Amino acid sequence: MLIALIKKELLALIRDVHGMAALFLMPALFIIIMSLALKDVYDPPVKALPYAIENRDSGTMADTLVNEWEKRHGKAQPDSTNWPNKVQSGKLSYALVIEKGFSAALASRPMDSGIRLKLVTDPGLEGGVFAANKAELVMIASEMRARALLTASRMAQGAPRGRPSAADRIPNDDVTVSAQTLVDAERLAAGSRPTAVQQNVPAWLVFGMFFVVASLSNLFLQERQCGALARLASLGVPVSMMLWSKALPYLVINGLQATLMLAVGVWLMPLLGGDALSLAGIHSGALLLVLLGVSMAAIGLALALASLVRTQAQAATIGPVVNILMAAIGGVMVPKFVMPDVMQRIAEFSPMNWGLEGMLAVLLRGSDIGGVLLPAAKLMGFAALMIVIAVLLFRRRVG
Amino acid sequence: MLAIRDLSFRYPGADKPALEGVSLDAARGRILGLLGPNGAGKTTLISHLSGLLPVQHGDIAIDGQPLAVIRRNTPARIAVAPQDYAFYPMLTVLENLACFASAGGLGGSRKLQRIAACLAFAQLERFAKTRAERLSGGLKRRLNLAIALLPEPEIILLDEPTVGVDPQSRAFLLDAVKTLARNGAAIIYTSHYMEEIEAIADRVVIIDDGTVLRDGTLDELLGGVIVQVRLGVAGLSDTALNALLDCFGTVAQAGGDSLVTLAAGQTPVALLAAVEAAGGRIRHAEFGRGNLEQLFMTLTRRPLRD
Repeated sequence: MLIALIKKELLALIRDVHGMAALFLMPALFIIIMSLALKDVYDPPVKALPYAIENRDSGTMADTLVNEWEKRHGKAQPDSTNWPNKVQSGKLSYALVIEKGFSAALASRPMDSGIRLKLVTDPGLEGGVFAANKAELVMIASEMRARALLTASRMAQGAPRGRPSAADRIPNDDVTVSAQTLVDAERLAAGSRPTAVQQNVPAWLVFGMFFVVASLSNLFLQERQCGALARLASLGVPVSMMLWSKALPYLVINGLQATLMLAVGVWLMPLLGGDALSLAGIHSGALLLVLLGVSMAAIGLALALASLVRTQAQAATIGPVVNILMAAIGGVMVPKFVMPDVMQRIAEFSPMNWGLEGMLAVLLRGSDIGGVLLPAAKLMGFAALMIVIAVLLFRRRVG
Repeated sequence: MLAIRDLSFRYPGADKPALEGVSLDAARGRILGLLGPNGAGKTTLISHLSGLLPVQHGDIAIDGQPLAVIRRNTPARIAVAPQDYAFYPMLTVLENLACFASAGGLGGSRKLQRIAACLAFAQLERFAKTRAERLSGGLKRRLNLAIALLPEPEIILLDEPTVGVDPQSRAFLLDAVKTLARNGAAIIYTSHYMEEIEAIADRVVIIDDGTVLRDGTLDELLGGVIVQVRLGVAGLSDTALNALLDCFGTVAQAGGDSLVTLAAGQTPVALLAAVEAAGGRIRHAEFGRGNLEQLFMTLTRRPLRD
């Protein structure tokens, strides 16, 4: 019985040409267009991001750097322990690590070789922000070095006459003022360098998967309006079976969507001149768990909306509008970290944001199943709630 | 077989009940015509029988067993061919039949056999691979009926099955319904086409505003209908003619003719004899047994198609 109902659903899906086109073409086009359009965008936000400082140097220059950075970017998070995990998971946007010997290296005339100042960022940090922070760090360190060298030079000039030291005999032209070689910046990536496509595929994949809402709602409403559902009910088909016969085919559709979108990122984008999506080092179990969560949430929402709407026009508009809204507030269209604080808090209520965070955790941060349990649990919980609402509404509507 | 007793139902928030104290019976091999205007309560009654509405008050039993028990254990004993085209327009005729056959619990060779039988019964073999959305209105009605017959139901509820079909398809559907009754099914046939009910129903229930106005065989119902005589008379003044006709019943004018609704105990023969005796010359006269529409108008003082 279930197979017959699933077959009916698949046949109905295949014959809904416009719905299928929306399900597959639209997210693919979004990935291509948005990835290419945003590839070279440089627009760093000016707002403060959560960060930590680990100061391993006991010199005064290190304290000065900390004070200067906090003056510009607000106070660092008080607890700097375990910052790698927090940065890796995106809870902190970056960490400044001041290595031992930073103060001495900054003040030495011949530049001490070796990295003494590290900017370690969230793998998902937007490229512009990453570059801006690194440049600012180099600039501050260079200013401090210039001041230190100037002070040392003045002190040397004011010192008692005598045989000048070897260092004092070095002409000023040979002293490197820039502290660039002391500074390094890196992302805590899961093996691949984050690119526009690495960040866009998760966003538009989640967005595209939620578009089953429109397709499912339309078909559901059609069979409700013509009385086919009432007929099935009168034949004794349980509500749960009717709902499962809808959910399972769309689970497969979502799976195909995900495969297609990932394939577009991996193989098509390089052919179009964009960066390739890298799946190296990805935890496949975590990826499947997040995709399952997104799919269940999308199908649950679709069933609830389909049970709620009364006309084709409602189904045709409410689904897409809900999708666009969730995408807008969920960080799909605008990265969450550039949003105002209030909007960031609202974003945390968007199922698309949960899906996006889960996907970013897998694709950018290399999270395993443990790392995506929270977003996956939120998505599954949302799906369960929506299905309960769908069942309650469904019982009322079928009659 | 089917016994409904004192059934009442009120939709949530409604001012008045959709059904109030409805009682009726349907028997195997017989066609029960359910006649009433739109909003009379026919579809609400059908919805109860198809399990889509709960029984709020009263009882529905089949062979002495409560409907709820029957619906839980053997829902396919009762089939509904709803007023709408309740099938999947994007599927072919065959795919629709296969889907609903499985939904009705049929499988294996039995399923194939029933699909073939219903295709043949509805004469849809030629259209088996045609998508339902491309069928004509008449063929869609036939598919609607064929789907209802798949599980070989004992009680078949046909809700306005001939709406929007051509005369040929209507004749086919009416013959098909009679055949189903001959084969032993209990049929409940709702319509607001009186001529259809008169043509096929063994027993008629007239329902309006959620209550049963009349329940009986056609003879029982129409036997008591007040007869009307329409006649054109020459040789008598209007005043004299009306004075004479007033003695036989209520007189109305209809296109130059007089329309006399005979009072109890009066007969057309006596009326015509009296006219001739008074010197009138009868140019034409029409009378006969009343029909369901007249009965309905008599009962409700409004036409059936309101």
